[in-house]
Amino acid sequence: MSLEMNQDTRLESNGVRLERTYQRFMLGQRWEHALLILSVTVLLLTGLPQKYRAAMWSQQILATPERLDLIRQIHHIAAIVLIIEVVYHLFHNLYLLFGRRLPEDIFPTWQDVRDAWQMFKYLLFLTKEKPAAGKYNFEQKFTYWFIFLILGMMGLTGLIIWFPLVVTNFLPGGIVPAAKLTHSTEAIVTAIFIIIWHFYHVHIERLNLSIFTGRLSEQEMRKYHAAEYAHLTVEVRDTTEEESGRDAS
Amino acid sequence: MHHSRAIMRTLFGALAVLFAIWSLVVSVVSAAPFSQDVEPTQGASESAQEETPINLSIGDDTCLECHGQPGLTMELENGEVLDLFVPPQEHAGSVHGEKGYACVQCHTTVGDYPHTKFSALDQRDVTLQLNAVCQRCHPGEFELTQDSAHATAFNAGNHEAAVCSDCHTAHDVRRLTNPDTGELTPDARLWIPQTCARCHSAIYNKYLDSVHGATLIGTENTDVPTCIDCHGVHNIEDPTTAAFRLNSPQICANCHTNPEIMDKYGVSTNVLNTYVADFHGTSVVLFEPETPDAEINKPVCFDCHGVHEIAWVDDPIKGLHVRQNLLTRCQVCHPDATDNFPDAWLSHYIPSPDNNALVYYVDLFYKILIPVVIGGMAVLVSMDAGRTLLDRYRSRKVKEQVELVEDVKQPLPDQSKSGAEESEVEHE
Repeated sequence: MSLEMNQDTRLESNGVRLERTYQRFMLGQRWEHALLILSVTVLLLTGLPQKYRAAMWSQQILATPERLDLIRQIHHIAAIVLIIEVVYHLFHNLYLLFGRRLPEDIFPTWQDVRDAWQMFKYLLFLTKEKPAAGKYNFEQKFTYWFIFLILGMMGLTGLIIWFPLVVTNFLPGGIVPAAKLTHSTEAIVTAIFIIIWHFYHVHIERLNLSIFTGRLSEQEMRKYHAAEYAHLTVEVRDTTEEESGRDAS
Repeated sequence: MHHSRAIMRTLFGALAVLFAIWSLVVSVVSAAPFSQDVEPTQGASESAQEETPINLSIGDDTCLECHGQPGLTMELENGEVLDLFVPPQEHAGSVHGEKGYACVQCHTTVGDYPHTKFSALDQRDVTLQLNAVCQRCHPGEFELTQDSAHATAFNAGNHEAAVCSDCHTAHDVRRLTNPDTGELTPDARLWIPQTCARCHSAIYNKYLDSVHGATLIGTENTDVPTCIDCHGVHNIEDPTTAAFRLNSPQICANCHTNPEIMDKYGVSTNVLNTYVADFHGTSVVLFEPETPDAEINKPVCFDCHGVHEIAWVDDPIKGLHVRQNLLTRCQVCHPDATDNFPDAWLSHYIPSPDNNALVYYVDLFYKILIPVVIGGMAVLVSMDAGRTLLDRYRSRKVKEQVELVEDVKQPLPDQSKSGAEESEVEHE
């Protein structure tokens, strides 16, 4: 599946496989991601037939008004699930951030711009060094914030076309067809983004299942999150001399 | 032209002779007596008879001796009095009279004189009895009428439902089509609403005030639809079914997407595609292929524009260009609609900087964004994949070399060390 082989398996001389792993995602975050997959999949599956209504396959799915209503209801339920998830995510993480219980790794920094530039040079064979990433590399941050923006737009425009009568109470009517167009087009951007960008980075470039397992191996940490790894191991070295001694070997 | 006519005539003549021989053979074989009251002018010989009038046993003059006298009447079984007077010029001036058809070709039971006694329950029974003869020469049209809403109503017991002569009249049957093109004559188009109005007068009055009716009757402009352009001619469909409703936008589109008609009046031909692209039309056209009889609560053209009373768009009371009128229309289905709400509907405009600018610019934005996103991602991802594959290939080569060197140095290579070295090499 992945282009790179899993190289973190090391056989000690006694044949016992030792693998040091690092926590990457908390259990809650992994459940949130599962919910995200579920709701977005349902939304795309029920939304795309509505968008491509002129196509034969779509008309076979939406053959009767009852079916259309059913599909719209499923779409709305999945949308409510996703909205609740996003609102929970937002408030929960803001709460953690303000309580200093969540590091600010996910926020974009100037370092990300420099990393992106270096990556670009690396891809053009102008440098041999890949940027050393922190907990989230610039691509992962981009993915997060892009999806964040898309979900925001989809939620907002979806609610506008769901409740046009309410919206036109205080906003101009033209916002409704504009929201419909945005919702329908942005859905395609979402699908393309997930399939091309996200699937490539987590399945093809390397198989990264940490969002499900919650952990990354030491090898993966060293290779893909060098800065984070250095940061963590320095902390470890500071506290337990013995551990760091073993790590360095 | 004359040549081909002569050939046609010969052909039809030959056909007629063949038919006569065939029917003779058949009747002789079946040993049935040759029926006297079956006319020699029937079926396949119709065209031949047009060209070469057949000697009839009774000419129209014979009929008119009695029926040309005003005041000739008879009493029907229910006591109604049937007027038997036929003004001679009425039939003579009709399309049938022009072609030389004789009374007895339709009144087939009266071949002898004095003819057999005619009896009927009432006036309507007279019409119905005599109406059956039309299909002898016009079987195609008659067949079509059997699928019509009139036939359905008739079969359901409403004997007032229109039959042929209710629309075409009995004796004064007018020519409606141009014999060369087969198209309706402009005069016929003007007559149609009056014909339907004989029964559907309430609808006719609405039509009179509509943009179509007022134009047809007021200015004799035959570009506008008459009744039959929407309802059909002989197989007039029941317009109250779900299937009719679902398909009705196509009826309007027949003319309203035709630039030959619309350009003359500066009317947009984008009404159908903009309707289909917008909220309501999207749902309406969705079910057409799979469930053409789906019940829908989404509006079709006539829900907003009216059925027979379609107004000019700028009509102060009904016109949908008048904002308040449009809002009133919206509120029929969306009772809570407020002033801003009608703008949620694009009003059949294709978004442009002048109309629905927001939609236009959002569309423009995505027309740029989508290729950039797809293209950018595709380029970056393929570059990344290329570089990753290349690195992997290189590191494998280096690894092989390292293993080779270590094989020479050490008989037992330490796996963990070679792994570490390999990753160092990679990050070089």
